[in-house]
Amino acid sequence: MSSLALFLLVVALAALGWLMARARATAFRRGGSAPRAHSLPSYHGWYVALWTAVPALIFIAVWTPLSANLVMDEVMSAPAAASLPPFEMQRVAILREAREIAEGIRPGGFHPESNALAPAYADALSRTRTMGAVVALLLAFAGGAFAFTRVSPHFRARTRVERLVMAALLGASTIAILTTLGIIASLLFESARFFSLVDPLEFLFGTHWSPQIAIRADQAGASGGFGAIPLFWGTIFIGAIIAMLVAIPLGLMSAIYLTQYARPAVRRWMKPLLEMLAGVPTVVYGYFAALTVAPAVRDFGKAIGIASATSESALAAGLVMGIMIIPFVSSMADDSINAVPQAMRDGSLAMGATTSETIRRVIVPAALPGVVGGVLLAVSRAIGETMIVVMAAGLAANLTANPFASVTTVTTQIVQLLTGDQEFDSAKTLAAFALGLVLFVVTLLLNIVALRVVKKYREAYE
Amino acid sequence: MRRRIRRRYAAERRFRLLGLGAILLSAAFLAFLLVTMVSNGLGGFRQTEIRVDIDFAANTLSAASAGGEIEAAVAAAAEAQYGPGGARALSDTAWLRVERAIEDDPSILARKKALWLPAASAIDGAAKGDGDGEAEALVTRLEQDDAIRTGFNTDFLTGADATDPAAVGIWGAFKGSLLTMLVTLAIAFPVGVLSAVYLEEYAPRNRWTDMIEVSINNLAAVPSIIFGLLGLAVFLNTFHLPRSAPLVGGLTLALMTMPVIVIAGRNAIKSVPPSIRDAALGIGASKVQVVFHHVLPLALPGILTGTIIGMARALGETAPLLMIGMRAFIATPPDGITSPASVLPVQIFLWSDEVSRGFVEKTSAAIIVLLAFLLAMNGLAIFLRNKFERRW
Repeated sequence: MSSLALFLLVVALAALGWLMARARATAFRRGGSAPRAHSLPSYHGWYVALWTAVPALIFIAVWTPLSANLVMDEVMSAPAAASLPPFEMQRVAILREAREIAEGIRPGGFHPESNALAPAYADALSRTRTMGAVVALLLAFAGGAFAFTRVSPHFRARTRVERLVMAALLGASTIAILTTLGIIASLLFESARFFSLVDPLEFLFGTHWSPQIAIRADQAGASGGFGAIPLFWGTIFIGAIIAMLVAIPLGLMSAIYLTQYARPAVRRWMKPLLEMLAGVPTVVYGYFAALTVAPAVRDFGKAIGIASATSESALAAGLVMGIMIIPFVSSMADDSINAVPQAMRDGSLAMGATTSETIRRVIVPAALPGVVGGVLLAVSRAIGETMIVVMAAGLAANLTANPFASVTTVTTQIVQLLTGDQEFDSAKTLAAFALGLVLFVVTLLLNIVALRVVKKYREAYE
Repeated sequence: MRRRIRRRYAAERRFRLLGLGAILLSAAFLAFLLVTMVSNGLGGFRQTEIRVDIDFAANTLSAASAGGEIEAAVAAAAEAQYGPGGARALSDTAWLRVERAIEDDPSILARKKALWLPAASAIDGAAKGDGDGEAEALVTRLEQDDAIRTGFNTDFLTGADATDPAAVGIWGAFKGSLLTMLVTLAIAFPVGVLSAVYLEEYAPRNRWTDMIEVSINNLAAVPSIIFGLLGLAVFLNTFHLPRSAPLVGGLTLALMTMPVIVIAGRNAIKSVPPSIRDAALGIGASKVQVVFHHVLPLALPGILTGTIIGMARALGETAPLLMIGMRAFIATPPDGITSPASVLPVQIFLWSDEVSRGFVEKTSAAIIVLLAFLLAMNGLAIFLRNKFERRW
């Protein structure tokens, strides 16, 4: 019996338990002779249903991965397994075929070995599955029966059920912590392995990045270069400089226009329209950058006499990223401009200043901390952005301030290092985790600082 | 004095125009992006077909013929009809359609039959007005014979990835996206809603709760590629789940979407007025009953809106999925959540890397499909918000 069928069967049993227990609890109520029941009948139903389902489902969840290993052990000990080729890839392919034959997905295998293995596989599969199904159903019946015997007018079913609900709530909210811990642990653990191979100082301050690992030990550049400064520079150049040169003026001026000048109808239409820019998937921006913007930038560079202009340039990636960031800047600026007390605006206008003078001399300075916070958030968003730079910025680790040249970023290199088939333990793949750690720490710091700035500023006017 | 006022008013007008210009420029970028994609991509929904007369009686094909034989017969028929180069005018997968025609109606094996077969990528481009001289000459000749037509490309909507741009389809990636989103929703929605309820309604003020809040707010700001690294290190290398499967993609995206749902859910729950809770408590409901019978149903529209927005973000996400190996060439739609799959954004990324010119319109067409879905999801979210949002 497959896991899914077993799961459905257990759920059906639980539903049956729910109905039976509720019927029994309803009978107490009707009887009238018994004292008034503590819990409503449906709570008795839930109590029985949970006792039926939860232990059995936990067992299934543990058993399913465990049984796969058991099946594998049994298949490998079968006589037909002795003729398996030693190569990992072939073995995996043959075993997969044997499983598919055993399950009846395909009639016959491409490899002769898989046909020989199939009966052993089918045998092992059916044995472990029957075992799992029997134990799961026993658990379900035992749990359900135990709970059913406790259904009585005095039994506090509601309290028990609510206790489980609270446990589920607490459990769900710890998943957030587990995820954070998982991120930190996996990044730290893999980075530690990387730094046992490569000196951390060389990684952080080296200027030579060429993560190829030589095939032979005596080859030139056998150790590879893991100086990440060119990547950090490329990331800052694209995400924090070029993108912000586009996003800050456009985002800030849009926010000013929408909050100060635009009629409500215009504002109602333009604000969602601007926010659509943030909803476009980054892969679409990346394609747009590579297909349309990059050739235009290259031609422009050639036209103004820069011979080194390539079709993968920092400018193209940065421009498109800046467009993507506009709504972040503008919505943060919007919020902080709206938070400036009306009295300050009125005071300035009453002194005879024009609207633009009020905005430039009073509102923007007053809203500045919020705007700065928004810009910091936007920077953290820009440097973590992946697809645009992967598709438009190129792979050459240049340390250059020429916007028409190709630069590479931290995220591009993470993608580059981890895609493709290679050993997971090489310095090359581990370097991706070290880069990820740097990215994580930097974005975290930027966010903390930004939120601090925004919070402090809010308090100033409240 | 008057001159000075005039100057100040001019500055005022300039500033105002600058603001308007900024908005219009941003909107123009959006319009330009959409127009580029639509104008490039509309061609991808149309397919050029060439009529080939195959004399089944004259060749040795039978219902049990292998693919290679059919392919050779089709090539021979095309060469015979349109001269040398005729076979190259057909798509690599044109014989599949002949095979299907034989399956549908085995009686055609005894006679001569004109079949419309998909054209090769170069011919397809030339027929749509973007080809080289040789292909265009052939198209002109075919047009004179009335042997070429351009129709709606059903293969694009029903097929999967292929090496030939004329034969690619979006269904495989779309199904992968659908399965991935199902896994994401099945995990992120319950976990997100339950955490939001806990944090907003029950959590005591202590360090543990503070830690949960801090981690949720941080997770919402972590770059998506970091989630990909987490998925790679935990789901693939520790738990050994299958590579490039919707299961792993869905789990990874669920961790990314959950904070969005928690934050939206908390705001929705917070906006339910305390009088509702007090009234329910006052007539004897337990704390769990108050939340699950009264607060949650009232907060549900807000939670759903947040969920849809979070799911739309997950649907467009590419980088974390690249990390867990979802960039393989997958030529068949996935059968389940554990079989290898591609998803729409990754498919777009893969096609954008192809050099062949035919892929440009297919990539843009895939982008149109993706954007249409995102627009529909966001439209649904706005509709829900406008219809069910209550101000207390």
